[in-house]
Amino acid sequence: MNFFKRAWLNLTAKKGRSVLLVLVTSAIMLFVLAGLLIRNAADTATTNAKNSVGATVTLSANREAAFKKMRSSTSTSKSSKPKLTTSPVKLSDATKIAKLSNVASYNATVSTSANATGFSAISTSSSTDTGMKGMGGSTSSGSGDIAITGVTTTSSVSTFESSSSKITKGRGITASDEGTNNVVIESELAKEDSLSVGDTIKLKGTTGDKKTYTMKIVGVYKASSSASTQQGPGSTDVSNSVYTSYTFANTVKGSKYKNTADSVTFEISDPAKVSAVKTSGNKLISTSKYSLTTDDSSYQTVKSSMDNVKSFADKIVWLVAIAGTIILALIVILMIRERRYEIGVLLSLGESRWKIVAQFFMEMVMVLIVSVVLAGFGGKFVGNKLGDQLVSQQTTTATTSTTSTSQGQPGGTGGGGAPSGNTGGSKPSGNMPSGRGQGQIGSTSTNATAKTDLDINVTVMDLVELGGFGLAIMFLSIMLASGGILRLQPKKVLID
Amino acid sequence: MLKVNDLGYWYDRQENSLFEHVNLEFKSGNSYAIVGQSGSGKTTFLSLLAGLDKPRAGQIEMNGEPINKIGLTNYRKSKVAIVFQSYNLLTYMSPLDNLMTAMAITKSEHRGDKEFAIKMLRQLGLTDDQMKKNVQRLSGGQQQRVAIARTMVCDAKLVVADEPTGNLDEENTKYVIEQFQKIAHEQKKCVIIVTHEPDVAAACDHSYRLEKHQFVEET
Repeated sequence: MNFFKRAWLNLTAKKGRSVLLVLVTSAIMLFVLAGLLIRNAADTATTNAKNSVGATVTLSANREAAFKKMRSSTSTSKSSKPKLTTSPVKLSDATKIAKLSNVASYNATVSTSANATGFSAISTSSSTDTGMKGMGGSTSSGSGDIAITGVTTTSSVSTFESSSSKITKGRGITASDEGTNNVVIESELAKEDSLSVGDTIKLKGTTGDKKTYTMKIVGVYKASSSASTQQGPGSTDVSNSVYTSYTFANTVKGSKYKNTADSVTFEISDPAKVSAVKTSGNKLISTSKYSLTTDDSSYQTVKSSMDNVKSFADKIVWLVAIAGTIILALIVILMIRERRYEIGVLLSLGESRWKIVAQFFMEMVMVLIVSVVLAGFGGKFVGNKLGDQLVSQQTTTATTSTTSTSQGQPGGTGGGGAPSGNTGGSKPSGNMPSGRGQGQIGSTSTNATAKTDLDINVTVMDLVELGGFGLAIMFLSIMLASGGILRLQPKKVLID
Repeated sequence: MLKVNDLGYWYDRQENSLFEHVNLEFKSGNSYAIVGQSGSGKTTFLSLLAGLDKPRAGQIEMNGEPINKIGLTNYRKSKVAIVFQSYNLLTYMSPLDNLMTAMAITKSEHRGDKEFAIKMLRQLGLTDDQMKKNVQRLSGGQQQRVAIARTMVCDAKLVVADEPTGNLDEENTKYVIEQFQKIAHEQKKCVIIVTHEPDVAAACDHSYRLEKHQFVEET
């Protein structure tokens, strides 16, 4: 083990060269570590996305079947006007699906509208009431100036989940609001009519018995500025959208809608099980009336984005490792040429060649240990900078791609024609009033963006992994350079 | 102890051999000088005796065993100690570390014995301060003493030296010659010195001149 001591003596005697070696090796290790950290963080982000972004399965009326039925009835009786009839979802069916494994929770959504009584709805000049009425599947809903979205809980609504809508005062709608007339109104409406939490407002139904309901304001929410620019058919301003319990929305629509919903969205705990839940769910419902649609786009967006980051990080690791091996091998070759005399002396003393190679390797390992520690300090900083840049690029790509897809397909993201208007976003829980088609374009990528921040931390395992890479790099470098040692003849060095 | 049988060496062609059909015997407890003109091949001859190169013809036997059978690395490790004109010390070490390293590599019976190494260095006139300094900070004479001390701490019975006094002044030359004589006569080792200095050759027990490709003993 004399070569250990020789390695140590050499490094300590030639401090300048040792410092340079440490600096070069640290730079290589720093980039390898940054790559490893980004790769690991991307892995973690994907796992976290799997847990937090999740995926959904939506139970709604089978519009395709309804259209087929409508067309077949049209062909048989040409005199009558074609009529599209869809069935509201029975909550009893939803309960059955909710009991399936991997279903974390569910959110029933009922959309309707009513007229403001005793207070003023926000009126907009661009508001029109033409075309695509009934979009969203609420064929029975009328066209009041206040859009009612009945939900099980507002926290499961995609706009609230993505923070594009926020409760600013009071609270949101929860399961405990079932059977109550509690309402959450938009902040602009509250401001316009000087309404606050605890106040009551009156809404008059536009369908059914057209009864007037007294509502208690339990919360005020702030819709995003972009949401207020919606130009959905038949829409009023987004400030006229209120959230209630789905039971109240059903009451407004009429008694025949009791214990039904326009759609029910099930949150799946493991996005990988979405297809399995859909298959199991289809066995529990009448597929001629209802359909189950899946949406794991948020997860897929995050996954795809993180896969790209991971792939790039892998490339960084391998490129730096290969470049590092070449650079270090060249340095070691130069070092060996410079130390031919020393090698000759050792050979003349009878030292074996492999022990001389081992001495050089030990020197590099000692340099590596210091470099790994230095890289450990700087790795987080470089990893964060590099990771932020990568995520930013990937998110931009993902957003662009999602947006262009949505724009390319009219109503593709929560747009017109979608059953219950609820296929948009990652949580299609009917977050827009019926027929209003609040597109929520890009909401998927918004969710993805929020979930893809890389949490880069240097752990002991990262340093161990880096050490492993470093050892491999050092070993390869020494092996590439040791040809000179193995061929060296002591006579040529010491005598010739 | 060391027997040279029909030894021959040439670089490119046999017709241009440095020496051929050399038969010599070197005994323990004796010192030998190899003299000759520059370029005559005496250093090459020494490198063959030291196991630094292989002969083109013939063989060298150490106590009856051909050195190529012992293996040149093993031979250098355990049978021979070499002193060079340019000292050939490990420059990043102190004299003491040089000796400790040589003892470890050659697996000397004294390996790890720091006191023994210090004793040898003191014996060769190095102070405690000098033996802890980097060897490059020592004078040429002091470095050559370290090189000689290195041969003394190893167990090798054969010591070969190539122009060991080439870089030394008169006083140091005299001192080094004395030390080689002590190694031969007191430690009963075989010392072979290649030199071009008549005083060094005269101090040795035997002297061979390499002339016209043959070794001729001088009386």
